[in-house]
Amino acid sequence: MTARRYAVLKIVMLLGLGLYLLYKTFSGTLYFYISDRFTWLVLLGGAGFVLLGLAALRNLLRQATPGHSHANNWTVLIVAVPLLFGVLMPDRPLDSSALDTRGLTTNTGLGGGAWSNVELSLPSDQRSVLDWVRTFNFASDPSIYTGEPADVIGFVYHDDRLGVDEFMVGRFAVTCCVADAFAVGVIVRTPQAADWPSNAWVHISGQMAVGQFDGRSYPVIEAASIKEVPVPPQPYLFP
Amino acid sequence: MNKVFNILGLLGLALLLLAAFLGMQNWAVMGFALPDQFYTLSTIFLGIFIEAAPFLLMGTLASGFVEVFLDRDAIQRLMPKNALLGAVAGGLLGFIFPVCECGVIPLTRRFFSKGLAPATGIAFLLASPVINPIVVASTYAAYGWGPVLFWRIGLSLFIAVAVGLVFALQARPAQLLKPTPLIQISGASVDHPHIAPAAPGLGPRIQRALVIAGDEFFEMGRYLIAGSLVAALLQTVVPQTALLAVGSGPLLSVLVMMALAVLLSICSTVDAFVSLAFVGSFTSGSILSFLVFGPMVDIKSVMLYLQVFQRKTVLYMVWLVFLFVLLASVFINLNIGI
Repeated sequence: MTARRYAVLKIVMLLGLGLYLLYKTFSGTLYFYISDRFTWLVLLGGAGFVLLGLAALRNLLRQATPGHSHANNWTVLIVAVPLLFGVLMPDRPLDSSALDTRGLTTNTGLGGGAWSNVELSLPSDQRSVLDWVRTFNFASDPSIYTGEPADVIGFVYHDDRLGVDEFMVGRFAVTCCVADAFAVGVIVRTPQAADWPSNAWVHISGQMAVGQFDGRSYPVIEAASIKEVPVPPQPYLFP
Repeated sequence: MNKVFNILGLLGLALLLLAAFLGMQNWAVMGFALPDQFYTLSTIFLGIFIEAAPFLLMGTLASGFVEVFLDRDAIQRLMPKNALLGAVAGGLLGFIFPVCECGVIPLTRRFFSKGLAPATGIAFLLASPVINPIVVASTYAAYGWGPVLFWRIGLSLFIAVAVGLVFALQARPAQLLKPTPLIQISGASVDHPHIAPAAPGLGPRIQRALVIAGDEFFEMGRYLIAGSLVAALLQTVVPQTALLAVGSGPLLSVLVMMALAVLLSICSTVDAFVSLAFVGSFTSGSILSFLVFGPMVDIKSVMLYLQVFQRKTVLYMVWLVFLFVLLASVFINLNIGI
């Protein structure tokens, strides 16, 4: 390849990366990949790539004979890989197929720190799956929640340790990007548990009760209604 | 003729991309059913890349501007000659150049090409992902004013300076580095006609810094992408649940958390928040090892190190950091318990 063609390729890739990041920021699917805290960073990055692409374009246009650059060999094409993934693969948030390696916790130690927007004093029917799991962590006696109304959204996950009339309603919690995602879940009890396929997004309302999990007493949601819902615009919870 | 070919080629590429974008976003429509793991891999890979690319970009921009606006003499003059002082100065340099673990690597390479001493450069490289205002603030936000914050800063600085000093013993420091064909400013523009020689005006110099930054992004970006792909692949294959299940005991917990830090390959700016999830179920020494080892060594940063140093140097560097962190964390577990 000639030096000029490398230069053109690099300009296309820089502008492509910039536009891709900007497009993600404005289309809302960015939340499938990173926490909403870092939107500004991606916006800045997208603008930066466009700027570099324009500067390289200006440089190319002003020079009759572009010499060699040290990043001139076929490996620069690797930079197109994220673009290809981004364009060819449908945007799909992590789902229960990722649980094979990540597992799902019903009890998280995410309690410390001055930094947290999980509110323990929320009314019980406004608590998310993560809020519930965190509250369980503070309770020595699971029966203290009995009778409280619960209203949560999440995906269905069938765990081997559960009874036939139970499934988990899970969510991924993402601190920075999906690389650090961990799944949390609350047990749901319903006679139709087996009819709900894994990965289906559901809206569950019911009341808290006490059940068994892994040989100990655990709070469960006694479901009064289960409705299938579309994937929420922010599929992850940001602790 | 060549020009026509170029234009046709580009048009073809653009059409192909458009078709791909419109038609193939849903593989299922085409009768394709990729395994679920592949979607997970794609999502995690893009997550790591989207998070890290802006940081790498900031690093290459800083490097471009250092190349154009900072001359060799200034660095020689400002940096202490003494190896110990140089290493300490390198360890604290992150407060002046707040770049995190992706961005620090192109910047360090640029400093080396400007004649920075290896001890100083290595200390900067290892310390600055933690010793910078942003990471200190995020650690403070996660853990508050307490032992975790102090130990993280102290231990990171100590290890960075110590490893820097070990490499200062090398008689011919240039041998540590990969021979760099970096674009240099003085008299080198004859060899590099693709970048206009720095004209005196501010505008042309900024333009030149941007062009250098763009080229450097391609040099380093390749390794960031390869590293992110490997990390995403490992995450979809290696069960973290099994890893975490073995994690108790003063030694084993440290090893597990160090392995997790490498596996997750997350930015040091946010790893403090991620580590909160393990407080309580893991020993305090192991949490600290996650916070000190992770910023210095993970899959993508090691790939990037190989662009600056000889393979052997990287090997020794990673090994030394590993030993230091392991010893310190186990010691804390057994004797102090923060």
